[in-house]
Amino acid sequence: MDFMGIERDRLHLSWISSAEATKFIDVVGEVTAAIKALGPNTNFVKNKAKAA
Amino acid sequence: MTDARHAVRKTGRHQAKANRQLLYKRVESMKVVKIDKKKWDQGLAALKGVYRIFSPVKMKDAFEFKALEENENPDLGGLNTRLSAKGLIYPQTEAMFTYTLDESREDHHIMSPVETDYSPRAVIGLRPCDADAFLLVQRNFDTPQYKDPYWIDAYEATTIVGLACENPCSTCFCTSAGSGPFNETGLDVLMVETKDGYILKSVTPKGESLIAASGWNDEISPEEAQKQIEPLKTAAEQKISSVVETDQLKNKDAMTIYNAPFWDDVAFACINCGTCTFVCPTCWCFDIQDETHKTEGVRMRNWDSCMFPLFTLHGSGHNPRGEKVQRVRQRFMHKLKYYVDKYNDGIQCVGCGRCVRACPVNIDIRKVCSLMNQPENATCAAQS
Amino acid sequence: MLGYIDKIREIGERLFTDGKVDVVIGFAKGSMPMMNEPMMARSSGDLQKMVWDGNCGINLANYLTNRKEKIGIVAKGCDSRNIVTHIIENKIKRDQLYIIGVPCKGMIDRRAISKAVPGEVTEVIETRDSIRVKGRDFDETFDRGDVLQKNCAVCLHRNPVIYDELVADPVVEQTGIDRYEDVRKIDSLSTEEKWRFFDDLLSPCVRCYACRNACPLCYCPTCFVDESKPQWVGKGIDDIDIKTFHFLRAYHCAGRCTDCGSCERSCPVGINMRVLTKKLEMDCKDLFDWEAGLTLDKRPPLDTYRPDDPNNFIK
Repeated sequence: MDFMGIERDRLHLSWISSAEATKFIDVVGEVTAAIKALGPNTNFVKNKAKAA
Repeated sequence: MTDARHAVRKTGRHQAKANRQLLYKRVESMKVVKIDKKKWDQGLAALKGVYRIFSPVKMKDAFEFKALEENENPDLGGLNTRLSAKGLIYPQTEAMFTYTLDESREDHHIMSPVETDYSPRAVIGLRPCDADAFLLVQRNFDTPQYKDPYWIDAYEATTIVGLACENPCSTCFCTSAGSGPFNETGLDVLMVETKDGYILKSVTPKGESLIAASGWNDEISPEEAQKQIEPLKTAAEQKISSVVETDQLKNKDAMTIYNAPFWDDVAFACINCGTCTFVCPTCWCFDIQDETHKTEGVRMRNWDSCMFPLFTLHGSGHNPRGEKVQRVRQRFMHKLKYYVDKYNDGIQCVGCGRCVRACPVNIDIRKVCSLMNQPENATCAAQS
Repeated sequence: MLGYIDKIREIGERLFTDGKVDVVIGFAKGSMPMMNEPMMARSSGDLQKMVWDGNCGINLANYLTNRKEKIGIVAKGCDSRNIVTHIIENKIKRDQLYIIGVPCKGMIDRRAISKAVPGEVTEVIETRDSIRVKGRDFDETFDRGDVLQKNCAVCLHRNPVIYDELVADPVVEQTGIDRYEDVRKIDSLSTEEKWRFFDDLLSPCVRCYACRNACPLCYCPTCFVDESKPQWVGKGIDDIDIKTFHFLRAYHCAGRCTDCGSCERSCPVGINMRVLTKKLEMDCKDLFDWEAGLTLDKRPPLDTYRPDDPNNFIK
């Protein structure tokens, strides 16, 4: 995705056990912070189909 | 060329022309003007005040039709455009209606027509074959029974200035497909490049208005124009080296061609992409789709292709043309037999040669047409 | 390479006579310069129509999918690698095939030639090392090496990797080639530049799907772009839909693509979508030391699991 022009930080992958509540909170915090830092995504967004 | 082939060419063309001319109005008192290359820009600027101009423009590595910007000029030096002019009247994706699902709005779930700009447009520099193709396509969109408003409005808004084709490609076979490099049928103005400029000859009232709007007023007599055009026309026609044989298509029984042994060989190489249908100026099939984003939606129509399995897939899951060979046969049967039988006006092909050039695996309509024209002579010799 | 055809016909005839195959798949002379048409010979008589030259760029493995006959197939290096992939993915059985291997010196890039000359190409005369091109007002000769298809110019497997018989001695494989220069160039762009690069690259796409259909890997009974329940992708010419198609198709080819170049060759508007598949090919090489279609004995990386698979993307 990075290659096609979507910032790397928009996609996170993590392995969290149902018992790891604190890790879950940390990861969610990290993800939202990273995405807020990037701002709204403009690439790969379709609001209306382009038609002539 | 053998005499027999020459005869086919002549009769085929004559018959097709006679029929197609019924579809549009010509003027008897045609007006002809001469344009000096210096005055070309001036007239073009004047036209831009009245019309939106579409012309071939060199894009990356090919010529394509495009709306000209303020300071842009048509690029008339190329061979045939990669895609045909079909999309100018009948875009690949065209919005038909919009709708909203937002129930707080009074017009929710109601289709509203799309405002499309049908102000006067002019297409400058398309080839006569592409113009002729509009008349074939008109058969589908503008019938006594059904009128397709999108196509008709766009077509009526358009004035077509065709550039006589002095450098046909080796794949062009317009002269045996009812058209020709200087063919006027379908044009509003015929434009011929001469040594020192252009000759513009109006063929319809629309064309006369365009010439009037341009300010090009160096009028010459039709006889004088004819004298200059004729040798160029003959020279161009002589450059066309390929021919399709169509004389037997009408007489042959449809089922004889349908069941002929050559279809498996013709279809073998086909990868069932939509290239031939998308580059074709006379392929008219479309698919209607609704696309909704959040609460707002568009009903649009997109070019479709009989090469795609989805084209005929039923809701039940049954597909009457589920096999590749059936789809390949359908495309050629439609163009070269069903159309011929239904409209009695030659084949549904203008001989632009685009499908021949664009096919990734070199399936050649000229060869297929010959096979269909003489199905009894065809063994499994599709590739010979 | 030009002398191969006699040998191809000879092998084909022998196969028909011995009843080893029902059909032979190869190429017939095209009706235009620099184009040949894939064909299927059903008898030794049909073999006379076959040719072999620098215009046999279409990947013939594409014509094998789910066939039931016993087939003789003419295969270049890349075709043979896709045959391997086909066998691994159960699209054809090894014992159905008699592979006539063709050591390949690269196919001609018809677009590069058309672009390099001042008019329409009407005649092409190919010799061992040169390509002479004629048109109405020109007559030019190119070095074969200068007008190869882009994928052929960076090919590392010109000789078939699997075959029953070779039509000639193996050719020397190219060495010292940087396969991924173009990919790294894109990689070095900023996010916005990358987005614009693909905007520009894919803008002429008409969604004819020639790239998909020419690809031997794209044999899904229903492609994701053709699904309607649910409909994943819009059907129009919206650039987001066009990108979705090209990006996702490339992903589906990860670890399977042999860079045969059929997609780019087939494209009627000349899009080099190979930069997408090559990026994934490069990643497979870097992460799994994997090149597609070289052996029947190993499963491809994306359908196997190893405890030491790279996993540093998981946080």
